[in-house]
Amino acid sequence: MDPRKEFIKQLRRYEKGSISRRHFLGVTGLGTAMAVMAAEVPGLLPRKAWAAGSIGDKVSLATWPNYHDPKDFEAFTAQTGAAVEVSVFGSNEEMLAKLQAGGTGWDVFVPTNYTVSTHASLGLIEPLDLKKIPNYDIAANDARLIKEGTVNGTVYGAAKDWGTTGFAVNTAKVKENPTSWKQFWDLTQGAYSGRVTVHDYQLTTIGNALKYYGYSFNSNDEKELADAEKLLMAAKPNLFAITSDYQPAFRNGDAWLGICWTGDGKQLHRDIPEITYVLGKEGGEVWTDFYAVPKSAPNREGGYALINFLLDPAINATEVKFHGQPSTDSRTNKLLPEELLKDPIMYPAAELLAPLEFGSAATFTNPARAELMARFKAA
Amino acid sequence: MQGPRKWDWTAILLMSPSVAIFLGLLVMPILVVLVLSFGERAEAGGYQAAFTFAQYANLPARWAAFRNTLTLAPLGTVLCLLAAYPLAYYLAVKVSSRNRLLLLILVIVPFWTSFLIRTYAWIFILGGKGLPALLDMIGVPDVRFINTPFAVLVGIVYGYLPLMVFPIFVSLERLDKRLLEASDDLGASPARTFWQITLPLSAPGAVTGCMLVFILLMGEYLIPALLGGGKVFFIGNALVDLFLQSRNWPFGSAVAVSLVVIMLVTVTLYLRVTLRNRGMRDQALV
Amino acid sequence: MRIYAVFVYLFLYAPLAVIALFSFSAGRSASDFHGFSLQWYATAAGNRLVIEALLNSLLVAFVSSAIATLFGTAAALMLPRVKPAFRMVFDALTYVAIMVPGIVIGISTLIALATTFNFLNPLIAGDAPGAPPLGFGFGSLICAHSLFAMALVIVIVKARLSGMDRSLVEASMDLYADPWGTFRQVTLPQLMPAVIAGFLLSFTFSLDDYVIASFVAGSRVTLPIYVFASIRRGVTPEINAIGTTVMVFSLAMLVVAQVLLRRQARKPAAA
Repeated sequence: MDPRKEFIKQLRRYEKGSISRRHFLGVTGLGTAMAVMAAEVPGLLPRKAWAAGSIGDKVSLATWPNYHDPKDFEAFTAQTGAAVEVSVFGSNEEMLAKLQAGGTGWDVFVPTNYTVSTHASLGLIEPLDLKKIPNYDIAANDARLIKEGTVNGTVYGAAKDWGTTGFAVNTAKVKENPTSWKQFWDLTQGAYSGRVTVHDYQLTTIGNALKYYGYSFNSNDEKELADAEKLLMAAKPNLFAITSDYQPAFRNGDAWLGICWTGDGKQLHRDIPEITYVLGKEGGEVWTDFYAVPKSAPNREGGYALINFLLDPAINATEVKFHGQPSTDSRTNKLLPEELLKDPIMYPAAELLAPLEFGSAATFTNPARAELMARFKAA
Repeated sequence: MQGPRKWDWTAILLMSPSVAIFLGLLVMPILVVLVLSFGERAEAGGYQAAFTFAQYANLPARWAAFRNTLTLAPLGTVLCLLAAYPLAYYLAVKVSSRNRLLLLILVIVPFWTSFLIRTYAWIFILGGKGLPALLDMIGVPDVRFINTPFAVLVGIVYGYLPLMVFPIFVSLERLDKRLLEASDDLGASPARTFWQITLPLSAPGAVTGCMLVFILLMGEYLIPALLGGGKVFFIGNALVDLFLQSRNWPFGSAVAVSLVVIMLVTVTLYLRVTLRNRGMRDQALV
Repeated sequence: MRIYAVFVYLFLYAPLAVIALFSFSAGRSASDFHGFSLQWYATAAGNRLVIEALLNSLLVAFVSSAIATLFGTAAALMLPRVKPAFRMVFDALTYVAIMVPGIVIGISTLIALATTFNFLNPLIAGDAPGAPPLGFGFGSLICAHSLFAMALVIVIVKARLSGMDRSLVEASMDLYADPWGTFRQVTLPQLMPAVIAGFLLSFTFSLDDYVIASFVAGSRVTLPIYVFASIRRGVTPEINAIGTTVMVFSLAMLVVAQVLLRRQARKPAAA
C-alpha cells in the first residue's frame, strides 16, 4: 500500500479514537523517529517505552549514594525506553520508615540483609517472581551471602552485592597503622580527636562500639549496650561528624579516620591512594544488599525489568567496577579483571572475614538501640 | 452598602477553596499528629492506637535538642539583628536615594538563590580546604570551623540576614527625617538622637525581623544538618530522626506538638511584651 | 559605617563567588581548582536526572503558586465580607500556617496523607479494580506547597487591600458600574503588584523547598532533592555548576519581576 495512504488511514483511525496514540505513533513510524530524537536530546522529551512496550516510561529506584554507574541506567533506558528515577537514602531505617508510611512510588529498592525479614513480616515487600528475573541465578550465587534474601523458604530479595563495614584510614596523617576497633576508638579519643567520623545510624556505630569490649556486634544485652553508650558518649566530643556520607570529608582532608563500607573504601582508595580500608581484627559486620519489590510498586513490571537488567552479569560487572562492592554472583566475577578479584579491600583475607557477623533483624529493630543512638546524637 | 443578606454566595464560593486547603492540609494533619502523640510505638515502629501521656512524659529524653534550639535560636536571632541593624541604618539614612534601590536589591539577591547552595558554599569555605587552609598558610595551624556550633551560627546569620535587614530598613525609611534634624537643632548629640529617636521608632521593624528569623530558626533542620555534621542537634533534627530513624511516630508527634506550642507561646508573649502600649502591633504584623 | 556595609556585602557575596569560581574548575574533585573549563556545565546539562529534576521543580512551583495566588487572592478579597467570628478563625489559621515550621508541615502532611491513602486505597481497589492506588508524588507535593504559599499570598494581598484607596471603588459604584466591572477596572489593577509579588514569592519558596519535599514527594526528584543528594555525595564540581545556574536563573527572574512591576507602576501615569 502507498505509505502515504496508510499514514492518512492510521491518522483517521487515531482521530476517531479507534486506536491509541501509542499505536498510531508505532504503526506510522513516528514513534521510532521520536524515540531517536529523544535519545539525541537527552532529557528534553519524556521517553516512551516504544521499544519494549510493556514496562512504562519510568521505573523508580530507591538506593544508596554512589551505588550505581549512571551509564548503566542510560543503557537500560536505551534498551527499554523507561527512564530510571533515582532517590538516595543513607540508612535502612529511612527506607523502612517511608515504606511504612506508604505511597512511596518506588518500584525497586535496596534493603540490607538484616531488614528483609522485617519488610516481609510487615507485608511491605512481595515474594519475588523469579521467572521475571532470569538473570538472577541463585545457584551461581554464594549461598552463605544470599541466605537472608529468603524468608521461610520464600525469596524476597535478589542479591545485589555484599561487603563489610570496617574503617577508612588516611595513612598520610594517621601513623599508628590501626588494625582493631580497640585502636580505632582509642585513637578517636586521643591523637586524632576531631578527625573521626561514625555512621549516622545505630547498627554499625553501636555495633562497632560493642566490638571495643569484644562483645558481639549484635548484642542487645542491657549491660553491654550501657558499656557501648559510655564509650560513645566519651568519643562524641572528639568526632568530626556523625554521618553516613563521609566521602566528602575524607576527600577534602577534614576526616582521617572513620567507620566505612567496602565500596566507599574502594572508591576513596582509587582516587586517593593514601586512604586505606581496614577491618577491625575483633570482627564487625559483613552484609549483603538485595533488590526487592515493594508491594505498593506502581510499576511492578518495570521494577522486575530493572532488576533483571542490573543483574545481567555483564552489566553487574560494570556496576562492580564503579561502586567497588564485591558481587555475590560467580558469573559476574568471571567477567571482572584479575586485580579487582585480588583486591584486599573488596576481598579481605579469610582470617579477617572469619569473625565478622551479619547484622540481625532483632538488632535492627531494637528500640533500646534506637534510643541509645538518639541520646548519643543529642548529647 | 447592600442590605442584610442571609447568605453571601459569592463570598462562600470564593472562600471555600482556601477554607478547604486550610482544613485538609493544616487542621487535619495537625489533628492527626495530636492524636498520634497520645498513642504508642508499634513493635516494628510506626503507630499503635492507645491513649497515654507516656510520650509527653518522655519529652525530657529530648531535652538536649530543646536546649540547643532554645539557646541557638535566640542567639542566632540576636546575631542577625546586630549584623543587620547597622546595614539597614546605613541604607535608610546615609545612602543617597539613587543608590539605595540597587544596594537594597543586592541584599535580597542572595536570599533569592537556592538555600541549599548558599549553605553548601559554607561547607566549602569552612571545610578543611577553605579558611582553615588559608589560616594554616599564615601560620595558624589546625583550626576547625566546620561541624561546630560556630559554623551553624555563621550559616544562620548568612541565611537569614536579608530577612532582618528588610523590615528594619522599611521602618527606618518611614521615619520622618525632620525629627532627626529637630533633635540635632535642639543640641542633642548624635548618640542621644539615635537612642531617643531612631532606635524607638525603628523598633517595629526590628521586632518583625526578629520574629521572622526566630520562627524559622525554631524549626531549623537543614543548617545544623549540613554545617553541624550531625553533632549540633536541633528539635528539627530530633524530629527527622524520630520519624525516619527510630520510627517512633507517637513520640515524634509529641515532640512536634511541643515545638508548635512553644513557638505559639513564645511568639505571642514576645509580641505582647515588645508591643505593649506602643500601638505598633499592626505595623509589626504587616 | 560604610566600611561595615562593604564588609557585609563581601560576606553576602564571597560564598556565591566561591561556588561560581569552582564551577569552572577542570578538576574532578570539588575542593581543588585545576584550571578553567566549562565541562561541568556540559555534564550537568547532559545529565538527564538534572534536567528532569529541574522540570519537576518548575512544574510543582508553577502549579502550587498558581493555586495559592488564585485562592489566596480570592480569600483576601472576600474576608471583609464574612462574619467577624469566621474572619478571626481564618486569620488565626493563616497565622498558624505561616508559623508552623516546614519540618512539622512535612511530617504531619506525610502522616495525614498516608493515613488517608491507607483508608481510601482499599475502597478504590474495590470500586475500580486496576485503578492506580493513591500515593505520594506531584499531587501531594503541590498540595503541601500550596498551603504555605496561600497563607503568604493572603497576608500580602490583605496588606495591599488595607492600604488601598477606597474612594475609587466608591466612585465606581456611584457611577453604577456593576461589582464585577468595578473589580476588574478599579480593584484588580491596584491589587496587581501584590498579586504578582505573592505569586513570585510562592514560586521561589516552592522552587527552593527541600524539607517539605523530602517528606511528601514520594519517588519524585525535585531540584533541591537532587542538589541535597549531590551535596551528600559531594564528589564533583557538577553541583557547583548547577548551583551557579540556579543563581543566574533566579537573578534573571528577579530582574524580570522588577521590570514587570515597574512597567505596572508606570502604566496608570501614562494612561
